[in-house]
Amino acid sequence: MSTPSSAITDHALHKERPYWHPYAAGIGLGLVLLFSFVIAGRGLGASGAFSSLVATVVHAVAPEHAQNNAFYGEYLGDGSKSSLLDWLVFEVIGVFAGGFLSGALAGRLRITVEKGPHISTGGRLTLAFLGGFIMGVGAKLARGCTSGQGLTGGALLSVGGWAFMLCVFAGAYATAYFVRRQWI
Amino acid sequence: MSAPFYKYGLFGDEISLVIAFLIGIGFGFFLERAGFGNARKLAAQFYFYDMTVFKVMFTAIVTAMIGLYYLSVLGFVDLSLVYVSPTFLLPQVVGGLILGVGFAVGGYCPGTSAVSAATGRLDGMVFLLGIVAGIFFFGEVFPAIESFYTATPMGSVTLPQLFGVPYGLILFLVVLMALGGFLLAGWAEKKFAHLRPE
Amino acid sequence: MKNPLTNLNWKQRIALLALVLGLIALFAGNPYRGGHVTLDIKELALMVQNERDHVSVEQLADWIIQGRSGYRLLDLRSEKEFDEYHVPSAESVPLSSLSDYPIQRNEKIILYSEGGIHASQAWFLLAAKGYKHVYLLTGGLDEWREKILFPAIPENATAEQQAQFTKLKEVSRFFGGTPQTGAASGQTAVKREMPKMPMPSASAPPVPSGGKKKKEGC
Repeated sequence: MSTPSSAITDHALHKERPYWHPYAAGIGLGLVLLFSFVIAGRGLGASGAFSSLVATVVHAVAPEHAQNNAFYGEYLGDGSKSSLLDWLVFEVIGVFAGGFLSGALAGRLRITVEKGPHISTGGRLTLAFLGGFIMGVGAKLARGCTSGQGLTGGALLSVGGWAFMLCVFAGAYATAYFVRRQWI
Repeated sequence: MSAPFYKYGLFGDEISLVIAFLIGIGFGFFLERAGFGNARKLAAQFYFYDMTVFKVMFTAIVTAMIGLYYLSVLGFVDLSLVYVSPTFLLPQVVGGLILGVGFAVGGYCPGTSAVSAATGRLDGMVFLLGIVAGIFFFGEVFPAIESFYTATPMGSVTLPQLFGVPYGLILFLVVLMALGGFLLAGWAEKKFAHLRPE
Repeated sequence: MKNPLTNLNWKQRIALLALVLGLIALFAGNPYRGGHVTLDIKELALMVQNERDHVSVEQLADWIIQGRSGYRLLDLRSEKEFDEYHVPSAESVPLSSLSDYPIQRNEKIILYSEGGIHASQAWFLLAAKGYKHVYLLTGGLDEWREKILFPAIPENATAEQQAQFTKLKEVSRFFGGTPQTGAASGQTAVKREMPKMPMPSASAPPVPSGGKKKKEGC
């Protein structure tokens, strides 16, 4: 298995179309968010869907434990229908689909591991799992992630959303030095 | 026009799930267009040589913010019916910091990791597993931290409400901040271009 | 003279547009227009005339007994009066807080007050805001007391009326009232004790909307 010297050079070799200009993609994203406000009366999100998933699985394995837990209970509903029949769950399924669609159209579908040149694949995957774990905890504490609290809360001028966003950037910049081996 | 349409009863819950799916497609599509299926590009934000994350996020925020404001002022949208997540200042600050750490370590956020996994990235898939594990961990320790989780509730408060200033003023300041930020971002990208992978 | 705007690239044009829109926003006013409404007088007058938005106390009693949950019952009196007694399954929404109270556009709302005047006025407020499924409990709490809690039967009742009254007695007891039997109207004043709260009710829907959890977080 070859170690890609640089993910970006590899992309060029595989004739992938270049990414959109950030401002163009940003406007597109902003319009999607606006549509969500106007049509559904709510914004985007992501972490909540995974919470629903976890709550559903825990409930299937240990129903009473799930119901007695205030956190899982929030995502379980009243039992009249599956808690996976949820707005966010369907939205996130759409995110998978939309990402796949865009990747397919741009020739950017590839089984690979994105990482810098100075770390092994195993190391990268370990850190990916760890990062995801930390992010899961942070997202639940903050009641959202960059999509929900950041983008949506930001556009709605929510106090919590803006405070959250500032802290995300602060936390990430503070940590970046320590994980630089992974990326640069 | 009476919007938000769902809140005006224009369609029911089943259709709203379909709408959610369609909106999600748009969301995922533009995330991938911006290159956010790639952890290295995302993490580059924190080494200054590629400020795409900042540019995309704040362009999106400003676009939606301005659009929503004008649709409301013109009477097309009833802004009070758009859901604003309640603010719990302390846990959101701490959660944000933690999430930032996770972002730098893992290279994704939940939405972008979904896009990454959908385009075949193994690290994206592993990241998703990590999120699920993290949420499970959170759920299990929840009873112990519940009082912290619900600390400093402020309700669904917005910046103009908090500071007692007109909505339009905050909007204008956000636009200024974003435009200024974009200029700074361009400058930073040039300055740190030596970190770019070649 | 060359237009300076043509020298800008697309990014700068968009930035300029954002700046202009931001500047206008400083003067464009409050986006929360929920407090101000425009009225279509004719449409409202027709709605009033049609009277399709009345719900009788008997109907409401029936629905409560059956445990139906497709509606929300709003009590517009003060909280104190609500605590003393309210129709089972009702929510306390003092009139002044009605405009801020979360009501979905597609929910069925039944309003009541003491006699019905405040309920009528509240109906008008909601109709002006565009809510289409708002109903009035005819006669308000007064009628509820008269007909449901303390139903009376005239002395010389026909067999049919007596049969009807038997049913009314059951309904009354369900709600903790006392059916009025006996001739002289003087007696009725003595026996009219309001049922104590909290009230029993056949599977009354949990407040606010029956069982459905509206989770809109992210």
